[in-house]
Amino acid sequence: MSEVKLKRETNVLDVVEVENRIKELCQQLPHGITDQVIQNDMPHLEPQQRAMVINKLLSLGQLDLLRNSSGLLYRMKDTQGAGKMKGSDNQEKLVYQVIEDAGNKGIWSRDIRFKSNLPLTEVNKILKNLESKKLIKAVKSVAAEAAIDSKQSPMVQRNSSFATSHEVWKYICELGISKVDLSMDDIETILNTLIYDGKVEMSVIAAKEGTAGSVDGQMKLYRGVNAVIQPTGLVRTPCGLCPVFEDCHDGGEISPSHCVYMAEWLDF
Amino acid sequence: MTAQEVRLCGLLLREHFGEVVEKVGTHLLRGGAQNLRIIIHETGVPLDLVKKSLCVLVQHGACVFSSGRKGAGSPTEYRTSCDRILRILRYPRYIYTTKTLYGDTGELIIEELLQRGHMTMSSTVKTVADRLTQNMEGQYLSVCINQGLSKLFSLFLKVFLVLRFLFFVEIEYDKETAAVLIPPFLLEGLCMDYGEVSNAFSKLVETHFLQRCPPMVAAGAAASAAPATPATPGTPAAPVSTAPPSPESFPDCYKVPHMTLVGRGKRQLCSEDGEDQRNAKRAKMDSQAHGDEGICWQVNFERFHLHFRDQAIISAVANKLDQTSSEIVRTMLRMSEVTTSPTATCTKPLSANEIFRSLPPSYNIARPIVDQYLTLLVDDPMEFVGKAGESGGGMYVVNLHRALANLARATLESVVQERFGSRSARIFRLLLRKRHLEQKQVEDFAMIPAKEAKDMLYTLLAQNLVQLQEIPKTPDFAPSRTFYLYTVNQLPTARMLLQNCYKTVANLIERRLFESRENKRLLEKSQRIEAILASLQASGAEPEQLTEVEEMITATEKQQLEALRLHINKLDSAENQVDESIFLLESYINSTASTS
Repeated sequence: MSEVKLKRETNVLDVVEVENRIKELCQQLPHGITDQVIQNDMPHLEPQQRAMVINKLLSLGQLDLLRNSSGLLYRMKDTQGAGKMKGSDNQEKLVYQVIEDAGNKGIWSRDIRFKSNLPLTEVNKILKNLESKKLIKAVKSVAAEAAIDSKQSPMVQRNSSFATSHEVWKYICELGISKVDLSMDDIETILNTLIYDGKVEMSVIAAKEGTAGSVDGQMKLYRGVNAVIQPTGLVRTPCGLCPVFEDCHDGGEISPSHCVYMAEWLDF
Repeated sequence: MTAQEVRLCGLLLREHFGEVVEKVGTHLLRGGAQNLRIIIHETGVPLDLVKKSLCVLVQHGACVFSSGRKGAGSPTEYRTSCDRILRILRYPRYIYTTKTLYGDTGELIIEELLQRGHMTMSSTVKTVADRLTQNMEGQYLSVCINQGLSKLFSLFLKVFLVLRFLFFVEIEYDKETAAVLIPPFLLEGLCMDYGEVSNAFSKLVETHFLQRCPPMVAAGAAASAAPATPATPGTPAAPVSTAPPSPESFPDCYKVPHMTLVGRGKRQLCSEDGEDQRNAKRAKMDSQAHGDEGICWQVNFERFHLHFRDQAIISAVANKLDQTSSEIVRTMLRMSEVTTSPTATCTKPLSANEIFRSLPPSYNIARPIVDQYLTLLVDDPMEFVGKAGESGGGMYVVNLHRALANLARATLESVVQERFGSRSARIFRLLLRKRHLEQKQVEDFAMIPAKEAKDMLYTLLAQNLVQLQEIPKTPDFAPSRTFYLYTVNQLPTARMLLQNCYKTVANLIERRLFESRENKRLLEKSQRIEAILASLQASGAEPEQLTEVEEMITATEKQQLEALRLHINKLDSAENQVDESIFLLESYINSTASTS
């Protein structure tokens, strides 16, 4: 009896000690420790116990589990991160991790589902929770707004900055800002006005029949552009904008010497 | 010569050369080719003044002379053209460009040549070296005085300056005179060597920013007479022609003459002893031959214009695409600088290999990325760069004329936008793209309500930015049976805007002169007070005296002066800004003229 009791007590003590030891090892090797390292440090520890301790630390959120080419790595999680997720359960933490790993490019919800292996309804519920806690943000993006990584080659950058008229039409419909149902032709008319405003340019590419939005084997691509020149020098003077420019002569009633617009402009 | 051009030329001539030259110049501009007698008779200016004005104009290349139209033996006729005089507006831009490219030495060389018109290389080098030396001295002196290095020196200065002040002469702080009093040995190291200036001069000639003046053909010479000066074998056979020979038609246009010029910049005035000795020495110096007599140099404006055009294209590419694309275009233009003629439609084809090798080393771009950038530039709707073949990894050209046309179009659109609003600008761009449209179509495409669209179209029509084209259905042009199509013609609109630019610059100059005239009394008073202050300060007056003098200007007057200074600066910089528009529009119009 006492043997059994003793064993259990040592087991309990051991667990706490082992936990602390593992934490110390993690701090010593901030890049992460492998199973092998823990085994070398505490050779008397049984694998099951080791696994139990590690699981406990993981569930407490004090340890991070990573995989590298040679096996599993355990790393100390910084306390700030741990604090943020207090009160969330494991699934939420997992989803958050997945989103965090995607970096600043963002990730589609479908991809979150694949990576976390959770059913769609669960994922949606978790996303809503995280959003209400203000930990993540949903960015509805059309292809044209996809974040452009400046290290990508210019060709990819340019191609990703285009949006087809079909995509724009879908986006506007989804936003629901229009009370009237807009067809793709209406959207194209509006895009043409933007071309005439000098804000957008269009190019036409050949597309296979049947792909969404192709008309007669062509697709129209639009993208935003910057102005080619700054406002020209002439319009920075009052004369360039003057409504009575034609009537202005020296010695006349309207003359540069007594021009009211010039006086205002000079005193500005 | 339009009325606006003549008015602007008159104002520029008056500011730079005085009223007499203005009178003679504008008369020539209005009247075409005239001989001396007619000029004297019609302007009423005395003979010697007319001769001097004509000399000034010829010296600056604004006036050319040729033998009379009535055959040999008739008096020489003088002709001016607006172009050269309008260049005066652009002088600050030329000087600033040279400063950025070649530093202070280059800047001063160009400034001297612009002021004098034609000069030999030796005299330019000497003058510029002297100026640079004085600048260095001036800096050294101001350091000395601020530190109060020599009491004796300041005493001399006080006596000298008070004496000058007593005669109410406008006093600039006369550093040159003060140099007398500084021990010469302190100033020995502060001289500009002629060699350095000559180097800068040669560099400017190599890159074609300076050129030789074409040798003068004696007026009235028989057709068979050879040109007078040497170094031009194989000149075209007819020296008596209506158009003056261009400097480029002479093969030695850009050859630096062999010149013996050794020495350093001279300090003004005398550390030498004795007036007479000094004069004698100076006379000897001047008559020393340096081996380049008769070879005068002038600024090559066309080369500067090509440089400005390249800059405009590069900044347009940078605005539209990104920095790397503009660097590639800059490299392409740099490589084509001397191989492309000024009126070419596009540069000579350059292979992608060459472009990649010539990129600046600080740009670590891999070869395939450069190829991708070139493809992007070719695909861009603005068509800055075109592809001319596949050899050498792809042959690429810069489409100069198309780029100028795009820049001119952007200028026109910007004017319409700022003046009439963005919806009128939308209509304007729509018409530029679609050429001819009916009113109904304009409303539909631009998505502007009918009433407003009509209003805007009529306003644009009244300002002559948009034209109406009538296409009759029946021979009698009945209004109900005619199509009325709105259209925009880019070239005539550009010409019209160019005239507006000229008028605007003339207005700005007039306003500037008016403001100076209005406040003339105030300006003179402030100058006098500044002079008194300067002299008192140099002689070490007590602070009470200084404040007493300062209080001679009241606070309101100070405010007025400050406002006046701001106004004049604003008007000056506005002139330069409008000149940029003028440059773009002129280049575009000239490019269409050469191709048509």
